[in-house]
Amino acid sequence: MYTLFTDSDTDLTLKEAREIGYKLISMPYSYNGKTIFPYEDYEEFDSKTYYDMLRAGTLPTTSAIGKEKYISYFEPEFAAGRDILYVHFSREMSATFNNMDEAVAELKEKYPERKFYGLDTKGITAQSLCIVYEVGDMYKAGKSIEEILEWAKTEVYNFSLYFFSEDLKFFHRSGRVSGLAAAMGTLIGVRPIITMNAEGKMVAIGKARGRKKAIETLLQYIEEKGDHIEDHRILIPNTGAPELAAEVEALVRERFGRDLNIVKVTTNPTAGAHCGPDGLGICFHSVKRD
Amino acid sequence: MSKRVLDGALFESMVKAGAANLYAFREAVNDLNVFPIPDGDTGDNMYLTIDSGASAPSDGPSGLGEASSRMAKGMLLGARGNSGVILSRIFAGIAAGFEGAASADLPAVADAFQNGSKEAYGAVSVPVEGTILTVFRDAVTFAGGRVGDGSDLGTYFEDLTAEMRRSLERTPDLLDVLREAGVVDSGGAGLVYIAEGMKNAIDGVEFTYAGKQSTGKAAKPIDIDTFKEDTELQFGYCTEVLIRLQNKKTDIASFDINDFKAKLEAIGESVVAFVDGSIVKVHIHTMTPGQILDFCQQYGEFLTLKIENMMLQHNETTIENKTEFKRKKVHKKIGVIAVASGDGIKETFRSLGVDEIIDGGQSMNPSSGDIIAAAEKIDADYILVYPNNGNIIMAANQAAALYDKAALEVIPTHTIGEGYASLSMLDLSGADIDKIVADAESYAEGILTGMVSKAARSTEMNGVNIIEGDYIGFEGDTVYSDSPDKCEAAIELGQKLGAGDYDVILILAGADATEEEADNVKTLYEENFGDSEVIMMKGGQPLHDFIIIIE
Repeated sequence: MYTLFTDSDTDLTLKEAREIGYKLISMPYSYNGKTIFPYEDYEEFDSKTYYDMLRAGTLPTTSAIGKEKYISYFEPEFAAGRDILYVHFSREMSATFNNMDEAVAELKEKYPERKFYGLDTKGITAQSLCIVYEVGDMYKAGKSIEEILEWAKTEVYNFSLYFFSEDLKFFHRSGRVSGLAAAMGTLIGVRPIITMNAEGKMVAIGKARGRKKAIETLLQYIEEKGDHIEDHRILIPNTGAPELAAEVEALVRERFGRDLNIVKVTTNPTAGAHCGPDGLGICFHSVKRD
Repeated sequence: MSKRVLDGALFESMVKAGAANLYAFREAVNDLNVFPIPDGDTGDNMYLTIDSGASAPSDGPSGLGEASSRMAKGMLLGARGNSGVILSRIFAGIAAGFEGAASADLPAVADAFQNGSKEAYGAVSVPVEGTILTVFRDAVTFAGGRVGDGSDLGTYFEDLTAEMRRSLERTPDLLDVLREAGVVDSGGAGLVYIAEGMKNAIDGVEFTYAGKQSTGKAAKPIDIDTFKEDTELQFGYCTEVLIRLQNKKTDIASFDINDFKAKLEAIGESVVAFVDGSIVKVHIHTMTPGQILDFCQQYGEFLTLKIENMMLQHNETTIENKTEFKRKKVHKKIGVIAVASGDGIKETFRSLGVDEIIDGGQSMNPSSGDIIAAAEKIDADYILVYPNNGNIIMAANQAAALYDKAALEVIPTHTIGEGYASLSMLDLSGADIDKIVADAESYAEGILTGMVSKAARSTEMNGVNIIEGDYIGFEGDTVYSDSPDKCEAAIELGQKLGAGDYDVILILAGADATEEEADNVKTLYEENFGDSEVIMMKGGQPLHDFIIIIE
């Protein structure tokens, strides 16, 4: 018996988590002196209000959760005799996992017979979500932790996310993208194209002039890197740009197939605080990530 | 004689020697200050921090535990700036390692220093690697691992300082902002000077500790004109407070510094906070210092307060210092020169990676000599030259033929618009210079640059009746619109150029266009060319009220 965990940084909503059977760890963000825990302080994420607030100039910050908070999530499962499989966002992106390790080490002393497994999706938002969904499918199909981990060894690297960001000030502040040299400080009308590499880090890999060209660049990546895209979900994450996501969905269907399983995803507020509003991406099954 | 035991007197003289050495090199450290954002001068801040420990009054000879704790306390009270506060934590951690000891042997010293690193990491909410934290941790780990039978304090500090220097040199590999600025971390550099001073005291090198030296900071006035009526508060305030926890406000014994820090994280950034007995030190960068004060006052009362607007600059350029860590001019493979006028345009070009900007354009064409003078300032194998004006291309080509210290590659841009379009798409990281030049040229193609200016005389051109004093809209040599209203001239120009068929319209408002006029033009363009992205920015250029770059 085991319990599946994921976190709000993977973009899984509370409703979906309940449906699949995931427990959700809440990754907080703060602004104007308030710290908010997604899906603990509210049931549903009001993305419009949130991204409008970012457009109006608010720059939220994000923070790691502490050891005690992790213990409060994990201990009840161990106490009930259940092991844990936690499908989480990239370790490269937050110091929070050090706190998690400490919590797990402490719990292991108390519950030596219990097992904890972390599955690093080497990504965040949609990059993680496609793996979270696949693991959810396997969980529902009754697969064991071992089977899931065996699958993840290769498959974690066979999903690729490409996205563009509208306003670089968010990324500059967070320092979480490499290759975004200071030289790219004021890219007016030019959008950086960013991907997540196999190490789970965000890397800027090019630029596109204008939104239309940026979208075209994403579509070209599907063409170039896509692998059996029809057998898996295609995710279109967006930071508060649902109309744009709908447009892109239509373009993907037109070019790659009407019957594709496309899911539009609202990027969670914590990750959104780093990308800024009006960004958009495409995540699909691909050849191995670089 | 080899020293294997550290006592209070020696440690005190080491800290004094560290302070004296940092004082001597503080300007070199100030010069490196690029991270995370300007919050005062790192060298001065670290010096004032360590000196408030070194000069903490003593009642005569004392044991190691007592001396180190007295100095750590002094640093706690005097700590300022991000690196200064972290430095004070390093010494607090060391003092905790020496607690109650009259003296310490080498393994105990190594342990105490290790504890200093742990304490420093603990004080920072989000530790950033490539800073003073990394430099100290690397050094104590390396030197601690080499402690053996033949070691003494001298060899330990030799290892410690050698590894610090190596770690310091690695900081640009860990932090993009350092690599781009071509510097090592300033806090780490300050630490190196302190440790080298401490080593001098062990080796018996003479030093002069004057104590409580002025850093000359008071004499260095801030320039309040660097924050104007319309300046946007980007960096906020560096806020530092020292609080005495109050029994009537909080249960001091159960005060949880981690919880306190987590709450501060919600109101600001670069949080460093720690508690020492009933004293809490907070360093934070925040947009709303009032909130910080209100929050802190819930727990106690202030002992000291310091709030500085981080966007104000000192109106004196830093004196170039001839030391090894000074901001070095990095040798680049490819440098870039651009001709431009207008503050907004120049700033944008700089942010796009232009190394040297030559002031000029339509009304002021720089000479080949000006271009060569700009090239002299860049240490690169190749230098791209953006003339950004048809009349300057010749001079640029001539400069390229004359200059022999680097290969000048002229990208023949006829307008600011072409220059912007090319620079914003350029990727200088490639290896093939021919490809980069070809790309740079192709990015500039297919760009229309419309301009709106006041007509100097009445005439008729291209079927447009031009009246002196009216505003005309033109592209290249062709006039498309004339109106007494500059906004109307701008929108008619856009229509004639078919702006709606393009993806991006970037409008640069000139020095003579008011904010209201700029807003008006932006709205008109958005209404008329709904499918395009319309971006308005302050270019500040002379002559042209609007430059309309259509890509």
